Amino acid sequence: MKPAAFDYYRPGTVEDALAALGTSETAKVLAGGQSLIPAMNFRLSQPDLLVDIGGVGGLDRLEVGPSGVTIGASVTQSRVMASDEVAIAVPGLRRALRHVAHLQIRNRGTVCGSLAHADPAAELPALAVACGATLFLQGTAGRRTVDAGDFFLGPFWTDLAEGEIITGVHFPSEAADTVTVLDELAWRSGDFAITGLAAALTTRDGTVSGARLVSFGVGGAPRRMAGAEQAVLGFALGDDSSALYGAAYEDGFDAVDDIHASAEYRREALGALAVRSVRAVLASNGNGTGV
Amino acid sequence: MTLDSPMRINPMIRHRASHIGRAVPRREDRSSLMGRQRYIADLKLPGMLEVSFVRSTEPHARIVSIDTGPALALPGVHAVFTGADLADVELFPQKILYIQPVHQPALAVDRVRYVGSPYAAVVATDRYVAEDAATLVATHTEFDPLPTVADLDQALADDAPRLFDDWPDNYLVNFPADKPEVRKAFEEADHTFSDTYVSQRQTGLPLECRGVLADEVDGEFTIWTSTQSPHIVRTTIAEMTGIPEPRIRVIVPAMGGGFGTKTHIYPEDVVMPWIARKLGRPVRWLEDRFENLVSAVHARDQRHDVDVAYDDDGTIRAIRCKAYCDVGSGEIFMPGTATVFVTGGVLTGGYDFRNMEVHHFCVVTNKTPSGAYRGFGTPEGMFVMERIIDRVAHLTGTDRVEIRRRMILQEEQMPYIMHGGGRVDSGSHAKGFERAVEMIGESLERVRARYADDPDVRVGVGYTNYVEPTTPTYHLTTGHWAGYDSATLRVDPDGAVRVGLGTTALGQGTETTAAQLAADALGVDPDDVTVVMGDTDRAPYGLGAWGSRSAIVMSGSILMAADRVMTKAQEIAAHMLEAAADDIVLTDGRFHVAGSDTPTVTWSQVATAAWVRTVDLPQGLEPGLEMSGYFEPPELEHLPGMDGKVNAAASWSNGAHAGVVSVRVSTGEIKIEDYVVVHDCGTMINPMIIDGQVHGGVAQGIAGAMFEHFQYDPETARPLFASFMEYLYPTCSDVPMMTVEHFETPSPDQPLGVKGCGEGGTIGPAAVVAGAVDDALSDLGVEIKATPVTPSAIRKAIREAADGGGER
Amino acid sequence: MMDTNPGLREVDVSVSINGTQVSHRVPARLLLSDFIRDVVGLTGTHVGCEHGYCGACTVIVDGDAIRSCSTLAAQIDGSAIRTVEDLATDGELTPMQQAFHENHAMQCGFCTAGFLMTLESVDPDGYQEKEQVIDLLSGNLCRCTGYHNIFNAVCSTWGVDS
Repeated sequence: MKPAAFDYYRPGTVEDALAALGTSETAKVLAGGQSLIPAMNFRLSQPDLLVDIGGVGGLDRLEVGPSGVTIGASVTQSRVMASDEVAIAVPGLRRALRHVAHLQIRNRGTVCGSLAHADPAAELPALAVACGATLFLQGTAGRRTVDAGDFFLGPFWTDLAEGEIITGVHFPSEAADTVTVLDELAWRSGDFAITGLAAALTTRDGTVSGARLVSFGVGGAPRRMAGAEQAVLGFALGDDSSALYGAAYEDGFDAVDDIHASAEYRREALGALAVRSVRAVLASNGNGTGV
Repeated sequence: MTLDSPMRINPMIRHRASHIGRAVPRREDRSSLMGRQRYIADLKLPGMLEVSFVRSTEPHARIVSIDTGPALALPGVHAVFTGADLADVELFPQKILYIQPVHQPALAVDRVRYVGSPYAAVVATDRYVAEDAATLVATHTEFDPLPTVADLDQALADDAPRLFDDWPDNYLVNFPADKPEVRKAFEEADHTFSDTYVSQRQTGLPLECRGVLADEVDGEFTIWTSTQSPHIVRTTIAEMTGIPEPRIRVIVPAMGGGFGTKTHIYPEDVVMPWIARKLGRPVRWLEDRFENLVSAVHARDQRHDVDVAYDDDGTIRAIRCKAYCDVGSGEIFMPGTATVFVTGGVLTGGYDFRNMEVHHFCVVTNKTPSGAYRGFGTPEGMFVMERIIDRVAHLTGTDRVEIRRRMILQEEQMPYIMHGGGRVDSGSHAKGFERAVEMIGESLERVRARYADDPDVRVGVGYTNYVEPTTPTYHLTTGHWAGYDSATLRVDPDGAVRVGLGTTALGQGTETTAAQLAADALGVDPDDVTVVMGDTDRAPYGLGAWGSRSAIVMSGSILMAADRVMTKAQEIAAHMLEAAADDIVLTDGRFHVAGSDTPTVTWSQVATAAWVRTVDLPQGLEPGLEMSGYFEPPELEHLPGMDGKVNAAASWSNGAHAGVVSVRVSTGEIKIEDYVVVHDCGTMINPMIIDGQVHGGVAQGIAGAMFEHFQYDPETARPLFASFMEYLYPTCSDVPMMTVEHFETPSPDQPLGVKGCGEGGTIGPAAVVAGAVDDALSDLGVEIKATPVTPSAIRKAIREAADGGGER
Repeated sequence: MMDTNPGLREVDVSVSINGTQVSHRVPARLLLSDFIRDVVGLTGTHVGCEHGYCGACTVIVDGDAIRSCSTLAAQIDGSAIRTVEDLATDGELTPMQQAFHENHAMQCGFCTAGFLMTLESVDPDGYQEKEQVIDLLSGNLCRCTGYHNIFNAVCSTWGVDS
């Protein structure tokens, strides 16, 4: 299990990285490499050029400001997880990162790399959608921003154009009345989710007044759960959960059937996760303590 | 029993303290802790080339053509060999008379029968280039696909495609049975039921993959290979290649685990020395994880169609079991056929139950060949038996502990002859079960209290009582070797002892335990004992490490050899002390006349006389102080008697496992909250190492109970796995901390009362987890009939019970 | 704009490994695990899966535990690497190594280096609850021990109530 041969280039600027990517149709951006290199070891991925953005100036910035957290393309998951300032501004990030692989992977894996890879069972894409994150993209044609909700198109398929890279992502600060949580079912610790749910819940007087619920590991991409988002409005801790469960179950209409779990299982699990996440937030008095 | 196979330490040796029975820290650890242990992948020779095997991407196909040209044109590629180059090198010695003949060349020549089957080998300057070339060979191979067989039902269908054209069907083994007393019980019993229980395809999965480094110099071959049976590998290579056996030296470097998968003779073991000879250069092949998953043996792929006759009071009257093992393509030696016989023979575990009729079938399919994995058929059998007991308990309203109490083996029944001839020599079956029930009862209350406020969580408990057949015969498995093993003891002039063993080490601490044994057997300190094994030039011929056999066979062979050394040493010491040999005793490493503390002579003085100052030897005594023992365990049988019964294991350890699980009804999430083991492997040589064996065994049992599963596409017979993303090897979060206690019931038959402990831990968890989940979800009517018990499977069982109203 | 691929098939890698500076020109595709084992010749770092799951190849790069099988040697040019060979000083085992020995936290030893390097890389103060220890250990696979004694070795060394 050794990678096929390729050319390696380590640019110092985004412009050089983009120019290099333009010279090859199979070129790939290398950030942490925690998904790409294993895939190359299996020769499932055989790029002829790797553009390592580890040395690109500016992409290593992790900035916490009043509007939220901005994470550059080469910032590792561990660095984000370790930052107390990040945890205060966007508590959901640390909560979600706890579920991402293991320490050794997070030490090299990047937040933006996970978004670009767009594994349908990965946590960070779903979190980005739930949080309403914004991605910063740059190509030879220029820069653009895209909402996370519009970015993930299918399994390992995003809105990134040929030759375009993610330079960073902005997670908005969590509102005082909102709690973002991520829960998932995985057969082993650290695995990608069999079924997962990222939820940004706004509560008022012990009931849910607003919700962004995002499923992952269920269909081909992280997706807002329209039915459950509607059903959860007005939900209080002691309420009967069958309507919420049922709506979330229906939101899993295109759940996949694979060696790990049946589609039916994933739909049931999505229902259960929706109920349990909402109850956990409400039980924390809407401030997220202990979730 | 002959005088040559002593059962205990020579009474002429007196110790201040015995080393057997102590938790002596392992001598193997330091090198690993410092990164200095040398595994096969750490070895290099000057001029060495790397080999990559080209493996079938088709489950079943004819090989139409292979164009090696593009691969050979690649810079750095030295050679490409295909099956045709080695067509005369058979891999499968035809020795086993009760199975269909499997003719398999070392590399597939014109037909492949599973994805992963090697059909060509590329030799290059390094592994990267070798893989480049292997990819080119693969893309320049034309296959003509044949119809595939993905599972038992497909293989046994009337119009099933056949894997081997010269067979009448796909049965590698076909042994139906008919017992009149079982038929009679079915007529007389109050009730009967029929059901099917399934164990899924798994593998031992040592963390270190396999590997072979082969070199030939002037017709002498040295082969380093990661195997559990170096001498058997050597004999087989000689037989298959025609290389004279004395010219082959097989060396096992440090091994990163084996668990049965490394007992087999693999194609690479034979092909690599062939390539080394052909090229006149050392060549190395290191299996990668993908290769390991598709080409190292699988195991446990069994289905059991059972009929059970029982009475209203919960008495089981008879069990009829059709045991099917899907052995994959069957292209491996030793073949994976013996496991199903073990399953059938020990299915009744620690219970007094003999009215069994077991039909044994091994069936070939287009999947990776199956073979040995720790437990070797016993976990599959215990799963079936405990499922049957729990079902009968439920159907008759009998308490699940009580029904087991009624059936469990009692001490006064020893030796107990099992239905298949297994002779359980001794044990603590009833006592062990009671202790496990007591221990788990306490934790059950704690766990119930913990979840009392969560209506989504159910808590349940499961039990099993198994026997662990140890030191089995290899004759029924290989048609060739049988049961002995060997030790050579030499006392060097400085008084230090060198022990050569026919068994080998794969990480289980054999060097430490062998040193404890030899130290007590010769009255020396373990630090003065050096242990050598895993090298056919330095250690005596033996069968290797598998079947939990090392403890018994090395105890026996070390004691035998030590006795011979002692006899000679006494004679020499007597001469030096001017006394009679019979009066000489050894106290704390010094020889003296019994009853008189001085004068003394040391081991070093005796050994110096034997090797160096031979002028000091008694008149006519042969120089040297090196003796061997070849120990064949008593009571071990190698062929069935006229009644078809055979005691195929030298001894029988036993254990009771119990576990508490919590299950979330909404998601099927399952957590093992507590797990207890009450274990009895007779006399313990090193309790610390035994506990480690139990812990690791239980973890692998849990892996099989809840996680690991090789799945194949039923339409195409293609593997649906390639990595640890699909094959779920458990982590520290997935295995519970457990409590292990021991009883120590010595075997009356085996040296020192030792029984063996390598596999017991693995046997229990599937039965325990299934029983506990059933118990937790009893009000929902759930009954687990297959492993792995995953959340998805639990939810499916809950749904089906709700939909069907439940048979129960 | 670039007209041609600016990449290189071979790259120069200069790193400090266990305190010694080494420089080699290596293929760009060389995995860090192979660089350490085959080029530098430190074979204490083991390769168990080559796809980032088993953790046997864990080494410390600039203070962080990483999977050397899922990292290119080219990527860590200029870094400081530590491997298992760097733990004991003049043959004296570290407390964690000693605890592994005393607790029988190893059998075949193939995973041991990976566990030790993971443990070496973190501040024990962040792992004072047993759940934290279990979570940390879950990034390395062991097939022999059932993790039981590894957990005990860590808890005894770090003073965690097991």
